[in-house]
Amino acid sequence: MSLLTDELKAWIGRTITYPACEELSRASIRYFALALRDYNPLYSDDGYARQAGYPSVIAPPTLVVETCQYAHRPANVDGYFGHEWHLPIEGCRQIRAGNDYEFTRPILPTDRISAAWTLENIEERASSRGGTQLFVQSVARFTADGNELLAINRETLVYQPLQPAGENA
Amino acid sequence: MSAPTLSASTLKVGESLPMQERTFTTVDLVAYGAATWDWHRLHYDLDYARSVKLPNVVIDGQEYGAVFAKAIIDWAGSQAFIRRLALKYKSMAFAGDHLVAVGEVTGIRVNGDFDIVSVAQRLMNGDRVVAEATAEVRLPH
Repeated sequence: MSLLTDELKAWIGRTITYPACEELSRASIRYFALALRDYNPLYSDDGYARQAGYPSVIAPPTLVVETCQYAHRPANVDGYFGHEWHLPIEGCRQIRAGNDYEFTRPILPTDRISAAWTLENIEERASSRGGTQLFVQSVARFTADGNELLAINRETLVYQPLQPAGENA
Repeated sequence: MSAPTLSASTLKVGESLPMQERTFTTVDLVAYGAATWDWHRLHYDLDYARSVKLPNVVIDGQEYGAVFAKAIIDWAGSQAFIRRLALKYKSMAFAGDHLVAVGEVTGIRVNGDFDIVSVAQRLMNGDRVVAEATAEVRLPH
């Protein structure tokens, strides 16, 4: 039986937008850098960052694509409240396969960052474990005020059946 | 003074980036989850991790992007700009694991007012590859 049902195919092309709730902020930038044990003063010292040619401190490169700060809603039962599609897929485990990031300019603490997610494609491919698995490809576009593009995150998640093909329950 | 930025004219294809290594504790996983507004219990709740047949709480795969980016900026300097970073996740890693990031220059080209340096990176857990990345880094002339 195909994992890629007509119901699932209908999800391709869907979009969800999360408008910015506030500026990114110096606090979010410094917090992220501390969590990474990254003590580069570019992320905490305006004077140092200006000497390097920036208008103020900047964010570590991947903060914009890793944070769920864009979201404003209750966490799910597992504690997650970032973007998810809630696809009608049952009996599978979800595995993160890849993230492909593009960045257009350094991110500033004053940026108000909105996120727009699009479900670009779902493919069913053969699995080395036997049977098939689903590859779900989404793209998130992060924009600042005026829809200035800041970053793109192309994300691939794989849904693997918990019960490999050919095995009896 | 801000840290000097590398000049592409001094680089060679095949040159290694300085290795970075770190043991990820549960405290590190909590800190990263909080700092990214991601409270998923997979990253700090041991009972939950064991209930889904995992040996320990899991390092968030997206953090590897930050680890690779830090290795690049620490090496290339304050004015280096990562314009692309593509990650492939190869295996899970858990609290207590000691991960080592290595990388090398794979290409150098002039592009208008900037040089673009291509880098390939790997994150290792002993002999096991945890993640791989390719990056394009913009450096001023």
